[in-house]
Amino acid sequence: MTLAICAQDISKNYNIQNVHTRALDTISLEISAGEFTLLTGPSGCGKSTLLAVLSGMTKPDRGTVQSGDFVLTAASDQERDAFRLHKCGFIFQGFNLFPGLTAVEQVQIPLDYLKIPEERARQRAERALDSVGLSHRKHLRPAEMSGGEKQRVAIARALVKKPAILFADEPTSALDRENGERVVAILRAIAHRIGSAVLCVSHDLRLFSQADRILEMEDGKLRRDLRRPRT
Amino acid sequence: MADAVSNLYSDKGIANVEAFLLGSGDWRRTGSGGVSVTIVGIDVNAGALALARVVPSTLRNALKEPDTVVVDEGDSDKLDIKSGETAEISGRKVRVIGLIRGLRGLGGVNIVTSLDTAIALDRTLPSSGGATYYLSRAAPAEAETTILERLNKYSISPSIETWKADDLAAISTNYMLMESGAGIAFVFATLIALFIGALITSQTLLSAVAGNVPQYATLRALGVSFGDIRVIVIEQAAWVGIFGFILSFSVSLIISTFAEIFSIPYDLRLTTILGASVALLLVAIFACVIAIQRLRETDPATLLR
Repeated sequence: MTLAICAQDISKNYNIQNVHTRALDTISLEISAGEFTLLTGPSGCGKSTLLAVLSGMTKPDRGTVQSGDFVLTAASDQERDAFRLHKCGFIFQGFNLFPGLTAVEQVQIPLDYLKIPEERARQRAERALDSVGLSHRKHLRPAEMSGGEKQRVAIARALVKKPAILFADEPTSALDRENGERVVAILRAIAHRIGSAVLCVSHDLRLFSQADRILEMEDGKLRRDLRRPRT
Repeated sequence: MADAVSNLYSDKGIANVEAFLLGSGDWRRTGSGGVSVTIVGIDVNAGALALARVVPSTLRNALKEPDTVVVDEGDSDKLDIKSGETAEISGRKVRVIGLIRGLRGLGGVNIVTSLDTAIALDRTLPSSGGATYYLSRAAPAEAETTILERLNKYSISPSIETWKADDLAAISTNYMLMESGAGIAFVFATLIALFIGALITSQTLLSAVAGNVPQYATLRALGVSFGDIRVIVIEQAAWVGIFGFILSFSVSLIISTFAEIFSIPYDLRLTTILGASVALLLVAIFACVIAIQRLRETDPATLLR
């Protein structure tokens, strides 16, 4: 199985108002391509910090993070920006869409920054929206869409550039059962069909049965690593 | 004094000399209280220099009739007078033979009349050729500066000073703005307006940026570089600046139209517009730099918490 990200002995501490918090405590893990990995654990256990470190948004205090030959922990801010732009997709709990843009424009944004020509970018954005079942809603702005539709636009925005790694932070927590299950099915399909490494932070029990691998965190440490055989 | 004036008349660089009088009086209409007025006595002969642009030749000619005056149309309500009506200045009856535009003062009211009528209205004014100011036209053969230097050095007594028209205008403007009470109040009001304008512009931009912080953070998370984010903020600042300029320019035009309607001497110069635009630009740049600095502190990882 191809490794998408490899983290070695990473630690991260925070000092907030003189209160010292150890968010990550000597964690080592590997995330594989084509696998839907679920990262779970109680609130404040360091899941989001781990996601931020693995995606290069935050630098750890110690340890190394590597994707292929690229060592994120040794890279400059600009190099890590470029890594995220070219290799990573993000899905956030709060959707984080741009209020003034239509669905197709939202999806096109990463492609614009990747300097893909306008016409090709639009076609790819429309195909990505089609793949999440939203081709008929492509001209709508976020205010005109339901929560489930917004999250599917966010997924289309993440997968349009066929990312090597897809990070999802509580993607179903703001959704009802039907939309939640739909989103889970799409994430799983992205891992299995496109071959992306999907790392999803969630408490949502619906995701457990769909995940290929479950990582459990507690107090900044990785407690369990369960891998389910592919069905 | 008389010698100095004779020297002025005899200087080869001077083409003509005319007297200009500034006096004061008490304006009264029947049954109403008095208004302190400035009496402006001018040479009313054809081709005279004083108020040549403000008082047209027909009115100048009409002012040759004793005890006739003209007033600015912006002051006619204050003086409760219309053209053709009579009033009293310091107990002497005068008739208003016309209204002029462009002589509304910052403080008092100007009453324009002939030199003879001015002397009759204000007994303290110098008669028999004396004057508050003398206006002269330089002979075309010689440069104004050369004539001025000679007059100040040899011909004129030390108690008399000579200026070019533009210099006197500048001195007068400077006095009215920087030394008179009304002028200083105006300058301070302008500074306060400028400060409030700068505050509004900078706050508009800063709140526009602050309101979009989650969106900027999203872009950062998606891998958009800080340099590209900076370009977006600068573009946003440019739009705020452009809309601010269009708005303030439109408001200035509306105000100057009102000033025109109410006969208030108002000068919206290109240099003023440029100065205001530069101030606006500086404020936009300053706000832009602060906004970018704040965004630098924006951590995209906050979106994951």
